[in-house]
Amino acid sequence: MCGIIGYVGDADETLSVLLDGLSNLEYRGYDSAGVAVGGDGLRVEKRAGELDTLESALDADGGSFAGPVGVAHTRWSTHGPPTDANAHPHTDASGRVAVVHNGIIENYRDLRDELEADGVTFASETDTEVVPHLVARELRRGRDPEAAVRAAAERLEGSYALAVVVAGTDALFAVRQDSPLVLGVGEGERFVASDVPAFLERTRDVVYLDDDEFVRLDAEGWTVTNAEGEVVEKEVRTVEWEAEQTGKSGYDHYMLKEIHEQPISLRQCLSGRVDELDGRITVEELDDLGDPATVQFVACGTSYHAALYGAQLLRSAGVAANAYYAHEYATSPAPVSTADLVVGVTQSGETADTLSALREASRRGAETLALTNVVGSTAARESDHVLYIRAGPEIGVAATKTFSSQLIGVNLLTAHLTDRGVKRRRDLVDDLRGIANDVQAVLDESEAAAVVEAFVDSDAFFFLGRGLDYPVALEGALKFKEITYEHAEGFAAGELKHGPLALVTANTPVFAVITGEGEAAKKTIGNVKEVEARDAPVIVVTDGVAEAGRYADHVLDIPKTNERLAPLLANVQLQLVAYHMAAHLDREIDKPRNLAKSVTVE
Amino acid sequence: MPGRIERPRGLISSHSEHRFMQLDSAVVLAAGEGTRLRPLTKHRPKPLLPAANRPILAYVLDALIDAGIDDLHLVVGYQRDRVQDHVGPTYRGRTVTYHVQEKQLGTGHAVLQARDAIDADFLVVNGDEVVTAAMVEAVMDAHSTTDAATLGVAESDRAAEYGAVRLDGDRIVELVERPQDDTYRLLNAGIYACGPSLLADIESTERRAGELHLTDAIADQIREGNAVRGVRIEGLWSTATYPWDLLTVARDLLAVGHVDEPERSRGVYVDETASVHGDATLRAPVVVGPDAVIGPGAVVGPDTALGRNTTVDAGAVVEGSVLDIDTRVGSNATVVDAVTGQGVTVGPGATVPGGEADVRVGTTIHENRRLGCIAADRADIEGGATVAPGTLIGPDASVGTGAYASDVVPEGTEVRR
Repeated sequence: MCGIIGYVGDADETLSVLLDGLSNLEYRGYDSAGVAVGGDGLRVEKRAGELDTLESALDADGGSFAGPVGVAHTRWSTHGPPTDANAHPHTDASGRVAVVHNGIIENYRDLRDELEADGVTFASETDTEVVPHLVARELRRGRDPEAAVRAAAERLEGSYALAVVVAGTDALFAVRQDSPLVLGVGEGERFVASDVPAFLERTRDVVYLDDDEFVRLDAEGWTVTNAEGEVVEKEVRTVEWEAEQTGKSGYDHYMLKEIHEQPISLRQCLSGRVDELDGRITVEELDDLGDPATVQFVACGTSYHAALYGAQLLRSAGVAANAYYAHEYATSPAPVSTADLVVGVTQSGETADTLSALREASRRGAETLALTNVVGSTAARESDHVLYIRAGPEIGVAATKTFSSQLIGVNLLTAHLTDRGVKRRRDLVDDLRGIANDVQAVLDESEAAAVVEAFVDSDAFFFLGRGLDYPVALEGALKFKEITYEHAEGFAAGELKHGPLALVTANTPVFAVITGEGEAAKKTIGNVKEVEARDAPVIVVTDGVAEAGRYADHVLDIPKTNERLAPLLANVQLQLVAYHMAAHLDREIDKPRNLAKSVTVE
Repeated sequence: MPGRIERPRGLISSHSEHRFMQLDSAVVLAAGEGTRLRPLTKHRPKPLLPAANRPILAYVLDALIDAGIDDLHLVVGYQRDRVQDHVGPTYRGRTVTYHVQEKQLGTGHAVLQARDAIDADFLVVNGDEVVTAAMVEAVMDAHSTTDAATLGVAESDRAAEYGAVRLDGDRIVELVERPQDDTYRLLNAGIYACGPSLLADIESTERRAGELHLTDAIADQIREGNAVRGVRIEGLWSTATYPWDLLTVARDLLAVGHVDEPERSRGVYVDETASVHGDATLRAPVVVGPDAVIGPGAVVGPDTALGRNTTVDAGAVVEGSVLDIDTRVGSNATVVDAVTGQGVTVGPGATVPGGEADVRVGTTIHENRRLGCIAADRADIEGGATVAPGTLIGPDASVGTGAYASDVVPEGTEVRR
């Protein structure tokens, strides 16, 4: 899980473009970073640690890093710990070839043995290092740089997006297989990167590369070829996003900015999709979606919680539906046929596990749908259908606004599959149109910051919920553990007395999510009484309908709305709980240790 | 004094020496609550209150960008998250830098929050007054590096209620806050071009009741004989002191069509994402914001502004009113001369008949104001309720089904039949 960027253009700008790009890609990983600038020669600098460490090393070097081509990398360790040696770019023994790589080369062990038998000495423990050595061997065999990179790439198995510079060549070579790579076309300069934000400040014209495509960039232009070396015509698209990820809008953290952006992002998600005059929900993108026998959601992390919620919504509407972890599904899929719909929920559209699961489903003939935030992402391009959640860029590693928009997305999907745009749902339409205002009310009036202060020194934190509140309990616990580093677990409220209750003490606060007035709410109140009997402090997140607040030490209120939307509001309170606790503990909120924003390796 | 740039003192401003200045940076003051606008300012500062159907601040930022300002500095304080959420890290592609004024200790103190970002002549603009790009350009045109400051001044018969100004030629000879003397005919329009040394002058200005005012610092400059220029500006300048002034601001903006939405027919401005039923009537001038919905038989306008995602249900009548984001007017309700905050609900058949009334703000009675009602954020006027003219309804307050409300309904309370 890494971010790469490559640049061809003005020799004096190369280094600053690469460093800006890395800073914009930092959300993809940040335990080491490096840069290589080529042209007549090749200079490499790389360091374990955050980007600042690399920048100070470059400052110490003086301004000798000029050249018309360059590559850079920010790394999140998969093979070997974060050290200077393991940082990218990797080079061959002669220092002629520099490579940056995102992905995993599965056959690197065999290739390494083969190269070592050839007398090559390895400097690092990474899978990537086989690539520069392979390229160097091809160069020694007399191939030109482009042919050498192609020949090396042919030997690789696994997932990769590679960018390669070769000393003495004013060109950049890149190739992808199962890892994201986009090409940026600017005025007199060109880019490749793992993601558009890397160069969005310099150009909005992008080309999305597909698997097995190879691109050569030089001062003259760019050429994309397929595995056979034939030229492929590619469409240049213009990206609409503002290059706004450079700013936190005056907030201390992207996460808090993004929590506060939810009223805006929810309005964007719903705009044009709910018709108040008609009382109907219409999602044009789904018009040619079939009428599936069953729906299977595949997702990981926060998106999995949105998937759990979506599956429950569909089941309550009479559609057989289930949610699966994508990584489990890829290796042990549920029975699936051409009559079924498999929905991949992935914010980035690049989550490797989810892509694998979608491909597996597609291979078995199922119809596929991507529920994603990123236009033109791999999931969007590979699936039969796509529903965009329109949340706008999310930089904080802990997903917040995209989760809320995913919940709305699965509501739209459910309405589409069950009503087909025919049935009127005046109440739901009214409540959907009111959801942004309800979220604003939570943001305006939340007591979360004050409530968490009382529990700073607790042993562990538990989150309970039932029905549609259960995925929110899981998500609340996930957010909490991600950014506070405190132990937190979410449970189905009914499961408590089947085991987890043994963990509950006077020093383990319990957050109970209780919305609506149904049987589920009443039963969860029963569970709250169980933990109170063990002296655990209880914080209830509730719309007040079931009068659950009577049994709590603290109450976090949410406005009353449709029962299916209330969990979204409860989750906003839990986002604030996690944020304020993490802020209190002075954690690295936007970049929690060991985690990366989008996990593009399996 | 660190960073102080020496400037020749005394009377030196003749037009022969004048050099046109395009300034790069503007400091926008958006930290103040605007206490006289309560209860609308419960959750947001005055610059975010609606001028027709956009925040006042949006007009200010647009005017600055259209006048060529690329470097925007927002001083934020009271409920600053709302400003930050609305404006974001960039505005129309220009980077926005936020400076936090933790305590609102006056406009001079606010400007000082941005001092580290300023190293040349710069603009200061009030974030809570609607101005135009032409006004900003006029102030920049008149300003030269030899001036201590240049202020935009506007003619108004209400000058005495604001910062009042007297001019001698193009020099300001008097600048006084709310003089309560109706011989003043010019007001300070809140657009200042300043030399960088003014920052140090602000710092050495005497505080009044603990507050540091930009206008006091400028008045000191006038007293010391330094060049403070006044430039008369023309066009639409509008602001709100009391909540009902927002109705006037909307009427002013609609009269000249200074709104964002495309003109569908003369004086009728409707966003493309709004849905207006074929049997609804829009009476000019009126503006309908994004995602708004107007049901069959509804009559909206004249002098009415509907914010984003507002709903006017079948058969409802809305006239002379400003309905902010997410406000919902139920079927057959009547709303006249009203200002609503965000997410206000007016139930089916409820009546806000409008007209003139005495309005109580704190201990002061404002007589004969044309005001249907003020309903603050998420207030709820339930079905069949009646609201007397001049009523102020607090945030999250409700007027129960069929109930009658008048005078003041405090925050979170309920009026029952």
